Amino acid sequence: MSGRDVRLSTPTWSPLPADWPRRRLRLILLVALNVLLAAWYFSWLVRPERVGMPLLFGLLLAAETFNLCQALGFWWTGVCGKRWIAAVLPYPRLADVDVFVPVYGEPVEIVEPTIAAAARMRGANVQVWLLDDGESDAMKALAERHDARYLRREQNHGAKAGNINNALRHSTAPYVVVLDSDHVPHESFLQKTLGHMTDKRVAFVQTPQYYANHAVNPLASAAWAQQALFFGAIAHGKDGIGATFCCGTNVLFRREALDAIGGFPEESLTEDFELSIELHSRGWKSAYVPEVLANGLGPEDMASYVSQQQRWARGCLSAFPKIVRTRLPLRLRLQYFLSAMYFLSGWTVLIYMSFPIVRIFSGEQPLAAATANQFLLHFGPYFACSLLTVAVAGGGAYSFGGFALAAANFWVHILSTLMTIARRRGRFVVTPKQGVEGPQPRTVLPALLMTIALLTAAGYGLAQNHSPATLNNVAFAGLHVFVLMTGVWPALVGARAAARAREVERERAQRAGISAQSEARRAA
Amino acid sequence: MTSAAYRNAAATRPAPAAALGRGRAALAFAREQSFVATGQVVSGVGNLAFVLVMARALEPRQFSQLAAFLAMYLLVHVPASSLSAGSALRPEINRRTRGRAIGGGALVGAALLAAAVPLAPVLDLPVALLCVLAAAPPAAGLLALERGRLYGSGQLGRSVASLLVEPAVRLTAGVALALLLGPTGAAIGVIVAGYCALVVASGRLRRSHAPDVPGAVVPGASGEPPQTQPSAEHSMARHAASAGGWVVLAFLLLAVLQNQDVLFANALLPSGEAGRFAVLSTLGGISALASTTVPLVLLPRAARGERHALPVAVLVAAALGLGAVLALLIAPAHTIGAVFGNRYSNLHTLAPLYLLAMALLGIARVLVAARCASGRARPMVALLGLAAAAHIGLILAMWGGGARGVATATLTATALLAVALAAGTVIPLPERTRRRGGTKTPFPRSQRRGREPEQEAPPVEEPAAGRWRMALPVLVLMGIGLALRLDVTRGIWVDEATSISQARMPFGQMIHNIRTTDVHPPGHHTILWLTIRLIGSSQLAVRIPSIIAGTLLIGALYLAGRELYDRRAGLVAAAIGTVAPFMVWYSQEARMYAFFMLFATLALWAQVRAVRRGGVQNWLLYAAFTAAMLWTQYFTILPILVQQAGFLAAVWKRRRERAEMRSLLLGWAGAIALVVIAFLPLWPVLHDQLQAYKSRGSGALASAPSQAGAGVSQAGNTMSIYAVIANFIWAVWGYHSDQTMAQIAALWPGAMLVALLTLGRGRSRVSVLLVGIAVIPAALLFLIGLHKRDLFEIRYFAATVPALLLLFARVTTGWTASRIGRIVLAVGLVGTMVVGLVDQQLNGTNPRRYDFQGALERVQHEMRPGDTLVYEPGFLQPVISYYVPKLNVRPLDAGLPKARASRTGTRPKVFLLASFLDKPQYASGTGAAIAKMEKAMHRRLVEHFTDPQIKVWVFQ
Repeated sequence: MSGRDVRLSTPTWSPLPADWPRRRLRLILLVALNVLLAAWYFSWLVRPERVGMPLLFGLLLAAETFNLCQALGFWWTGVCGKRWIAAVLPYPRLADVDVFVPVYGEPVEIVEPTIAAAARMRGANVQVWLLDDGESDAMKALAERHDARYLRREQNHGAKAGNINNALRHSTAPYVVVLDSDHVPHESFLQKTLGHMTDKRVAFVQTPQYYANHAVNPLASAAWAQQALFFGAIAHGKDGIGATFCCGTNVLFRREALDAIGGFPEESLTEDFELSIELHSRGWKSAYVPEVLANGLGPEDMASYVSQQQRWARGCLSAFPKIVRTRLPLRLRLQYFLSAMYFLSGWTVLIYMSFPIVRIFSGEQPLAAATANQFLLHFGPYFACSLLTVAVAGGGAYSFGGFALAAANFWVHILSTLMTIARRRGRFVVTPKQGVEGPQPRTVLPALLMTIALLTAAGYGLAQNHSPATLNNVAFAGLHVFVLMTGVWPALVGARAAARAREVERERAQRAGISAQSEARRAA
Repeated sequence: MTSAAYRNAAATRPAPAAALGRGRAALAFAREQSFVATGQVVSGVGNLAFVLVMARALEPRQFSQLAAFLAMYLLVHVPASSLSAGSALRPEINRRTRGRAIGGGALVGAALLAAAVPLAPVLDLPVALLCVLAAAPPAAGLLALERGRLYGSGQLGRSVASLLVEPAVRLTAGVALALLLGPTGAAIGVIVAGYCALVVASGRLRRSHAPDVPGAVVPGASGEPPQTQPSAEHSMARHAASAGGWVVLAFLLLAVLQNQDVLFANALLPSGEAGRFAVLSTLGGISALASTTVPLVLLPRAARGERHALPVAVLVAAALGLGAVLALLIAPAHTIGAVFGNRYSNLHTLAPLYLLAMALLGIARVLVAARCASGRARPMVALLGLAAAAHIGLILAMWGGGARGVATATLTATALLAVALAAGTVIPLPERTRRRGGTKTPFPRSQRRGREPEQEAPPVEEPAAGRWRMALPVLVLMGIGLALRLDVTRGIWVDEATSISQARMPFGQMIHNIRTTDVHPPGHHTILWLTIRLIGSSQLAVRIPSIIAGTLLIGALYLAGRELYDRRAGLVAAAIGTVAPFMVWYSQEARMYAFFMLFATLALWAQVRAVRRGGVQNWLLYAAFTAAMLWTQYFTILPILVQQAGFLAAVWKRRRERAEMRSLLLGWAGAIALVVIAFLPLWPVLHDQLQAYKSRGSGALASAPSQAGAGVSQAGNTMSIYAVIANFIWAVWGYHSDQTMAQIAALWPGAMLVALLTLGRGRSRVSVLLVGIAVIPAALLFLIGLHKRDLFEIRYFAATVPALLLLFARVTTGWTASRIGRIVLAVGLVGTMVVGLVDQQLNGTNPRRYDFQGALERVQHEMRPGDTLVYEPGFLQPVISYYVPKLNVRPLDAGLPKARASRTGTRPKVFLLASFLDKPQYASGTGAAIAKMEKAMHRRLVEHFTDPQIKVWVFQ
């Protein structure tokens, strides 16, 4: 990291915009319209005369149904966000709070601001614990510099969950905060969260995981677009439903709740997700504070992002059996299903991308011919309204870059599904906190191969004929290529190089702004 | 008379505007302008009287020699008179330049004297006349300088005296000398008159007093350099005066613009036509002369920043120029013949056109003067140079039309110049520094100006130059756009022919016809009616208004883009608008759609200005453009409604700032009231049209020409999403063959990509307004189109197109921070449009191209007496009567002609011309007619030819 640490700057995003009540009203209207349009589209789609090639039609129907389920879940969650007043709730003064910062080989300069900021948190008697699985003496020195307790394990079993469980055994405070090593908490973190613990049934209070480097790194920016949608409309809606799940960092726990379930599950890749299921199944409640209370770092290169996504996908997909088995209220069970199901969406991307290839090479298509106009008439409004809903719900934070990054990593979901089905054990890999300098084409190889396939199909189609049907499929191929290339671009040019270019551009714009201002002053 | 003039001088010496109220100051200035203009007119009439007296007093041969002398005398004085402008603006240059003027004049005089002997036989003039002429140059420059000084120092009485003394001396001494010495004596009288005018102007008889105008120049009584009195306007005047040389050059170019057409006409036209144009030029010269002094009187006032001076001067110039047009229009038709000879009597239809050009030039001269006075002489020189070049280009392009062609070229050039100048004057461009300094939020609270401008610091050179630099690319784009629009590649089609046939009627009959048979407001018809009266009804002539509107639309797009977003967006919008196929197409059609787009764009621009800045001027502009929209096309009500929603939103946004909200509401209510008032006269027309529409019923509607070449947009005859796509393609990339349209439409997944790309992009309120203007009228017409399919047609919601282009410009300039990225996007977009334009204009398979001209010219060539042209459908009548008014024609509905041998024994031919054969009713009618002629009437098909969208069968 060069220059000023971006985590020390003021957040530029708020999970709940000031005009949330009006936005929610808009969202409700849009969702109502969306439901009608979805019904309009599906009532047209499922008719027998639409069937082109049965197999392809089946795949299309499956993909569309999956997406509809996801959309319905999103709309349901989105409109359930309750009115939020950013106020400090009354809470027991001078409560003891242990702050756990697990580390595993991260650089000291990444961890130090976190420890320093954690020690400065107000509103409670704070004891910071640096939980070092990396066995680094520099970390020990760091802990000593900031009066933090330093804990090192003999054996690193259970990864991050094991590390925290170990700390739980060594500590006694009734409340526990877990922070990733790169997440710098605000001084008011405890003041804004402890008040929720006055309800004795609340097991944990989650806060957003904000990527402070989203403005300086294109990949972090795209990843942040996905995060912003989640920690904005989705997390807020889940809170309204009572289904907030723990995201592993920036979270305040009640020790009693953790003790009741024997601490973090150590066998899972997404220990936070399964921990939430366990707590909810035992009647504990969760809360969400829609306010940025810690500034973290998003993945800065494609390898980090892929690794993070793989871990999340594997963990959530492997949690399916638990979601099915555990006794949960229906609304919570559905919410967990929806969250885990998201990691199957890569399959739908694969299906959609394969259609133009199949059509151009074989002439087969999922829908019966001569229905393009009808398809547009029914699908167009549904598609447009759905996008508008996402835009409104996300408050403009969800961008094309985020969509393209997710689409380009479709293969992560596919691979994770296959490995989960094959019961291959995953490994907990800590998301690297600093990006790699150069290009990483190997991390996006599947997307590149798909791009080549699409381009080949498009070229072949254009060489064959220029009929509207062919051109339509070439256009679809072009659309997919554009999305894929946008998603993989940071990996091809190197995230840091792109970041530098953006930095230069920003500086130039700033200079231009300054000179314009000075000119204006001179003119005035 | 002279003493009376001196008395007037005291009465008309300008009072400082600050001392008088603004209204009174304007009245006083109007009186001054009228006083000087009257002097100029009387002087002109006196000089004309001298010529007429001479025409009777001298032998024809002698008179022609005198006329040649006068022409050369004028030739000497016209360039010299441009010095008046510089001197009026900067009286003190008089002293410095006087020596040079005398020296230069003496040199020219000496050269003339030396060349008199060899020149005389060449010019067929006596040597004595040339010797007398040699005396003119030394006085010419000096006289111009002195008169300019008089205007500049406010000694208007003396200047009028100087003007009047010239014809007085000519009519007395000149006539007397002519009677004694013939043409040489008359010439001496003319020269003496000039010197007398110089003596009066230079104040040799009576030394002028120092003017009491603050900031005006006070010539030193004892010969010391002139001093200026300190005042708030002093620096402005000084700044304005610093460009004296450029002012002279600007006025010289105006003189070139006024006179170059006669030189070209003389060189290019056959002698008869050249003579006709010479008469036109003479009439125009008289008209232009009347307003010559207006800018000179204006210059010093404008330089002092007197705001009332410009409108008054424009009004006076317009009154003089248009008064001349009116006088000629109401004069008996034989007047010109009586004055210039019977051979020129047929000029009475053409002369008003040329006089209108001179009237516009007079107004332009005033606007140039105002610009020069505010220190913008240099850009004016560039603009006038451009105008002069464009004038030459237009003459070269149009001289094939004879005197009328050259006159049309002059009218076009002067109109464009006047509009460009007016746009620059009426539409004050915000200073560049101010714009760059702050970010403009959409619909920000109005920055009320109040009376601030009066306290503003004087303008500095940099913004003026920068402003000009900003305008230059737009002018270049407008030039390119004009060239593209003048290159018409198709003939008149049915709708145009209908409009032309209506506009050819007397005005009252035309309005009655529109009320009973048409569905459009009479705004465009009125323009067309005037156009036909002024420049005829040739293909180019009837399209000139649309071409001008389409060219101005480029500038309007720039203004709107800059106002809504920034200058870059404005430039890209103008660039896109230059080549936008849809805009080029309708700029070449003698219909109302180019005006529709122009007024819609200007109304949007004015709306945003009015909301952002307030100000009566902006609200008036908004009301004017909106009313103009309504008078152009009834469907403009749709974008107007969207705009009202925009106002409502703006009011809602300001609901907490009561004062600002009240101001906005007041402006809005006032604008609506004005629009309603402007609409009221239209109401009876609309009412009658609706009644007629109902009484015609669907049968009549079915026979109306619907959209053509819309195969792609129609699924059967029902609405479809493809209709939306087709209209979008037409709006952006123009009209193409059905096959091309199908191919472009198949690329609709690109729209999905665009929709995805908009995720996470910010949007401003003006963008929302633009989207509303682009989408809502289209959506409403889509719904209406479910009942009447033909109404969902892009031309009926043409306001969508400029709104779309503005959005494109915004996307192009705002999508990426990378400069290269922006350039690539802009070039890519313009590139695709150029491809679309080329295909639209040149590809014969474009289903919108109806080559009635080609087909009918061939029919006309082949038809012999006794032959009949039968056409189907019946509504082709106007286009057929436009191209072949004298042929024996009948609609198919009237039946086929009976087979009958002609007197020579040959059997006459029947030409069956059919179009709109994509409509089943016309195709079947045509097929039945062919079958009947072949089988029942035993006619033989001897020929069959096809032109785009037209088929012709020839039977014998």
